[in-house]
Amino acid sequence: MQINKIMSYTFDKEDLKQIDAIKAKYPTVQSATMPVLWYAQDKFGHVNAEVQHLVATTLDIPESHVHGVATFYTQYYKKEMGKYVLDVCTCFSCQVCGGYDMLHYIEDKLGIKAGETTPDGKFSIQEAECLGACGYAPMLQVTNDVYVNHLTKEKIDSMIDGLKEDKLPEYEEILPPQLISKD
Amino acid sequence: MPEIIIDDKKFTYDTPGKVLPFILDHGMDLPFFCYHPSLSIPANCRQCLVEIGTPVFDRATNSFKTDENGEKVIQFFPKLMTACSQDMSDGMVVKTHVSSEKVRRAQKDTLEFILVNHPLDCPICDQAGECPLQIQTYKYGPEGSRFEYKKVHKPKRIQLGPRVVLDAERCINCTRCVRFTHEISKTYQLSIVSRGDKNYPSTANGKEFDDAYSLNTVDICPVGALTQADFRFKARVWEMNQTPSIDITNGKGTNVDLWVRDNLVLRLTPRHNPHVNDYWMPDSSREAYRLFNENRISRPEIKLDKELVKTSWNNAKETIAEIIEAHDTKEVLVLGSGYASVEENFVFNQFFTALGCGKASFVPHVVEGAGDGFLLTDDQAPNTKGCELLGFRAHTNRTFKNALAKATVVVVLAEDIVGRELANAEDLAGKTFVYFGTNNNTTSKDAQLVVPITCAAEHAASYVNVDGRIQRTFAAKETVYTSRATNLEMSTGRLDRFGTKFDNWRTDKNKVDCLPVWEFLSELAPRLNQTLSYETGKEVLTAVSSSVDAFAGVDYDKMDTEMGVVLSTPETEEKTA
Ligand code: SF4
Ligand code: FES
Ligand code: FES
Repeated sequence: MQINKIMSYTFDKEDLKQIDAIKAKYPTVQSATMPVLWYAQDKFGHVNAEVQHLVATTLDIPESHVHGVATFYTQYYKKEMGKYVLDVCTCFSCQVCGGYDMLHYIEDKLGIKAGETTPDGKFSIQEAECLGACGYAPMLQVTNDVYVNHLTKEKIDSMIDGLKEDKLPEYEEILPPQLISKD
Repeated sequence: MPEIIIDDKKFTYDTPGKVLPFILDHGMDLPFFCYHPSLSIPANCRQCLVEIGTPVFDRATNSFKTDENGEKVIQFFPKLMTACSQDMSDGMVVKTHVSSEKVRRAQKDTLEFILVNHPLDCPICDQAGECPLQIQTYKYGPEGSRFEYKKVHKPKRIQLGPRVVLDAERCINCTRCVRFTHEISKTYQLSIVSRGDKNYPSTANGKEFDDAYSLNTVDICPVGALTQADFRFKARVWEMNQTPSIDITNGKGTNVDLWVRDNLVLRLTPRHNPHVNDYWMPDSSREAYRLFNENRISRPEIKLDKELVKTSWNNAKETIAEIIEAHDTKEVLVLGSGYASVEENFVFNQFFTALGCGKASFVPHVVEGAGDGFLLTDDQAPNTKGCELLGFRAHTNRTFKNALAKATVVVVLAEDIVGRELANAEDLAGKTFVYFGTNNNTTSKDAQLVVPITCAAEHAASYVNVDGRIQRTFAAKETVYTSRATNLEMSTGRLDRFGTKFDNWRTDKNKVDCLPVWEFLSELAPRLNQTLSYETGKEVLTAVSSSVDAFAGVDYDKMDTEMGVVLSTPETEEKTA
């Protein structure tokens, strides 16, 4: 499946209604910048320069401010990304538990490097800093959503096979060691 | 009165305020970067940390706790506080680096952190010599760095806008530039982008930093991250001398400093005047350096065979005398100008009316919509009010044309009448036209005689701004006839003081062969049996203030000490004129 290239970015009536609802939650419009950027990213898949411009004009706030916020958070995608973005953690804990091995395995498997997107627009890989799941290292996150923990090559294979059929990996419940029953 | 104790010294204060400005205003030093008196206070650089304590209040006894010596017990905040954001309170005790080892240590450590990714390129950095980071590192910084790794690299030589260049590696993210665009110019063009050690100020994607006041960010940037595109690499700051002056590119009278090396004005920066421009100036006003340096008229010029050729000062004087003698003075049109100072206009008028010519008039230069309610005005000339207050008739373009048609001799001070399309070559054809000007322009081309006069950078003279405030300039550039060594009012830089005539950075080629209007006319006066003798603008202004009511009581000293003087309103003046 090819993602549709959106040539011009606009919010429709329904979007504007949603955005008004978001605005109503905050005392100033500026505070709505982050949720509206999220909203836009959900709709368009990313918040590139044009989307940032759209958000700024829709909210009637300075474009430089929207740009500043968008660039501050790595979770906002500043360019078009694959349908599934694999954020592979290579920070301290994951690194010592084989984070780079996992990253390189995925890179080889998909034939692209971190920071790149597959030609079919399906996958992007990013190297991420600590995602707060050090206890289950090495790990990755799929498109700002599901965590895939205790990564192994097998786990990656089945995850990618699933994603090819648009099946997101299951959320895992991982108990702290003292609560895991021994029997 | 409430009191505050700083490094064991007691001070009283009557207006509430923050600790940092109080310390600085009382001649003590405390390093800081992000604080700016006219901007909001983010307290993000952490360079101004001090120890702060307050007296302990005992609710039980409803009084301050005292120790065995009867002294108030002081409780210090557990952490160091930022002096820039801390309000003063009665009895507060502040310890700076003067009395606290902890503060000295904090200043060192903060600087070490700030310098971790800061390039050590002071030898090629324009800011060197006027860089708060450089100065404070010398004074309070660590001896060296413990950071032995590769520094983070960021964008360099980014043309943020037409006039401002960014070196992101030098930026310390104080946000002064960002706050300026949010709070002063209100264009909101800048924001800090990215995060952590990668952040720096930027415009939105693909947008230009074309704020009409963009260059003020260069002035307030505490490092060399923002530089002025047309001043970069032109001069080290210590090579220039700095002279207070007034902006002559519009009617606001923004207070400026002229920075001069080898008699070229290399840049203009704003000079603080809370009554006029605070710390700011428009970008367009900085262009004035071109007027001072480029395309100057040097030595009188006379038209021979339709060509202007250089001539002697004696010949220029003789020519004017002959013109006056050959014509009925009633047919002489004497045109003053809002582009010239009060002194020049006054003497110009005085000289020609004494010869029997009619009173000088002028044509105000107002462009509707050019002003912005801040530091740009519709009025394009720096001294329109001054001409009004001298009682000059203000022509409209049409009444000027009529007056011009009637005249056989036209004497114009400074006004570019052809460039402004007040007159064209045909209007002037057949008339004897004498032009007193600073720069070659379309008007000077049409003159029979061109008398080169000093510009605002070469003489001390005053200008009345749109709000009726009279302010004055100081001579910053030498002419062929003046000398920094003998005119004690002229400022000197290191090169002026320690250089010799034979150093390669000193030439005579930038000195213009021109005279102040008052000096030239004083020399001409005896030839026409007149008595007129002024040597300086100061003398002229004394004559102005004793003969024109609006200027009564005004002199240079008063202007200097009071940052300009507000004259009585034009409305009242016009009635008496
Ligand atoms: S560019 Fe200069 S003024 Fe702007 S944030 Fe950086 S250091 Fe501060
Ligand atoms: S280091 Fe990978 S989740 Fe913390
Ligand atoms: S001046 Fe920057 S924190 Fe106080």
